[in-house]
Amino acid sequence: MSNMIELEEPEATGHQMRDEIRTISDRVRRRRQLRSKIMVTLCAIALSITAVPLFLLLYQLFNRGLPVVLHTGFYTQLPQTPTLITPNATGGVSNAIIGTLVLSLYASIMAIPIGVLVGIYLAESDSKLATSLRVISQTMAGAPSILMGLFAFSFVVRDLHIGFSALAGSFALAVLMLPVIIISSEIAVRGVPNTLREAGLALGAKPHKVSMKIVLPAAVTGIVTGIILAISRAIGETAPVLLVIGGGYINSWKPLDPVAALPLSIYENAKSEWPSLRTEVWGIALVLVVFVFVLSLSARIWASRKQQAR
Amino acid sequence: MDQEFMAQVETKVAAPTEAPERGTAAMQLKNVAVSFHGRTAVRDCTFDVTKNRVTSLIGPSGSGKTTLLRALNRLHDLTPGAKVSGQILLEGTDIYRGDITVTELRTRVGMVFQRPNPFPTMSIYENAVSGLRFNGVKKKAILDEAAETSLKSAALWDSVQNRLKVAASNLSGGEQQRLCIARALAMDPEVLLMDEPTSALDPIATLKIEGLMTELKKRVTVIIVTHNMQQAARISDDCAFLLMGEDRAGELIEFDTTEKIFNNPIDPRTLDYTLGRFG
Ligand SMILES: Nc1ncnc2c1ncn2[C@@H]1O[C@H](COP(=O)(O)OP(=O)(O)O)[C@@H](O)[C@H]1O
Ligand SMILES: [Mg+2]
Repeated sequence: MSNMIELEEPEATGHQMRDEIRTISDRVRRRRQLRSKIMVTLCAIALSITAVPLFLLLYQLFNRGLPVVLHTGFYTQLPQTPTLITPNATGGVSNAIIGTLVLSLYASIMAIPIGVLVGIYLAESDSKLATSLRVISQTMAGAPSILMGLFAFSFVVRDLHIGFSALAGSFALAVLMLPVIIISSEIAVRGVPNTLREAGLALGAKPHKVSMKIVLPAAVTGIVTGIILAISRAIGETAPVLLVIGGGYINSWKPLDPVAALPLSIYENAKSEWPSLRTEVWGIALVLVVFVFVLSLSARIWASRKQQAR
Repeated sequence: MDQEFMAQVETKVAAPTEAPERGTAAMQLKNVAVSFHGRTAVRDCTFDVTKNRVTSLIGPSGSGKTTLLRALNRLHDLTPGAKVSGQILLEGTDIYRGDITVTELRTRVGMVFQRPNPFPTMSIYENAVSGLRFNGVKKKAILDEAAETSLKSAALWDSVQNRLKVAASNLSGGEQQRLCIARALAMDPEVLLMDEPTSALDPIATLKIEGLMTELKKRVTVIIVTHNMQQAARISDDCAFLLMGEDRAGELIEFDTTEKIFNNPIDPRTLDYTLGRFG
């Protein structure tokens, strides 16, 4: 703009013009600075509104939970019901810790292979089947989790006569995990650049080879992140397992045994009449949070290592 | 003048008698056209790709060079709405209707893409032998030998032989592109399609790849798309010039030896283009 004017007008006018432009830009700059200050303040306020409850929660969790989890018996002993003579004898939550591990293990075994394969299929296909599967998994992702519990109860516990068991609970959790894994796998696979697929095809690779040997490895960090997310979600769920795992008071890895689970123990202890049991809930919650934290941390570390290796 | 012109046209029409130095055709295109959802992207492509020569496809952006090249290894097969018409022969076999599977075709007609696209999760070695592995070759001795020969042909062996296990993404852009060339060569193809293989590379890396061509064409017939005129002149023996027609569809304007296309073209538009007057 100023260039054109300089070409047409004599020198002096050009200077005038430039000065004018400078004052205008000063004004604009000042206005911009003010606006940016206001925005920064607003952001800071929003941040503290979010951060305060989070810090309160963490404070509560550690303040009340740490004293509980510092006893080794908490991990190794089965729960005890306090009596009037021994009101503080709560035992531990070994059954719930094992139960949660068992449930997530079996649920993962069921959900991961199916979820990943369906996710790949959705990403690589435009068929009607793919479209309907996508709609179903999106709907399932939003469904209330108690529904999975109800379904597992009527289908696995009742219809299949399997009874209250780790299997029924992990089935419910697997159904809960599936849509998360499917959707994240689909996104990860879609993120793989098309030029890689073409490179494979151009080498004479059959489409399924391209999917398995090129696309899947390239999408694996995204897929694993989705899997971890799904497991983290399943670990903390109470509703799906509430009706079906039977709350076993034994340490068992067997799929057909009734098991306990950490979130369920929180629920049951919290409504107990014994204050000692109610105190325990923060410890259980802390263990649960640490589980999820360790899981997502290791996934992150693994993903970044993988990224660096490339 | 007129007579000279006519003589040229005649030699062009009477192609078989034209030059004894011209060998047999690796690929023949007969009236090839490609359309997407009914819209023609390129048409009227009729020419022979001679064995052990480098044939370049030149023309402005959008004239259908890439589209034509991708028809030659049936890479449009998976593009919805894409339709290839006319005839493309590989050693006399119609690649769309003849007795050849798309997989076999692609092992015989390799491709190098515009941007280097080595498989990011594979090592240099795995990249080099990936095509063989996709096609079921498992013997380590065969794979090792193919890796070494192909990396040597791509002038990459010396710099990578001590780090074959390293991820391919650690290589520079130029090295990655040469790895892609090696990957294609490992299949021992008859024809190598290259779509502007140096357009994403710096001048030195470009020169390295251009330098490969003389050696490459001893063992493989090369068809290379480029919109760098100097490159076409430097490295190609034959040259096809494509240009958009009035309806924006690309068409073959002229096909001849590179020497003729650049020094003595028949169509005035070819001269305009090679002199840089448009495009
Ligand atoms: N997959 C596709 N779908 C629709 N149109 C396409 C597709 N690929 C290429 N085209 C069209 O074909 C024409 C030629 O493109 P292209 O072959 O890439 O030209 P060039 O390589 O000469 O620059 C363009 O008009 C482009 O829009
Ligand atoms: Mg192109």
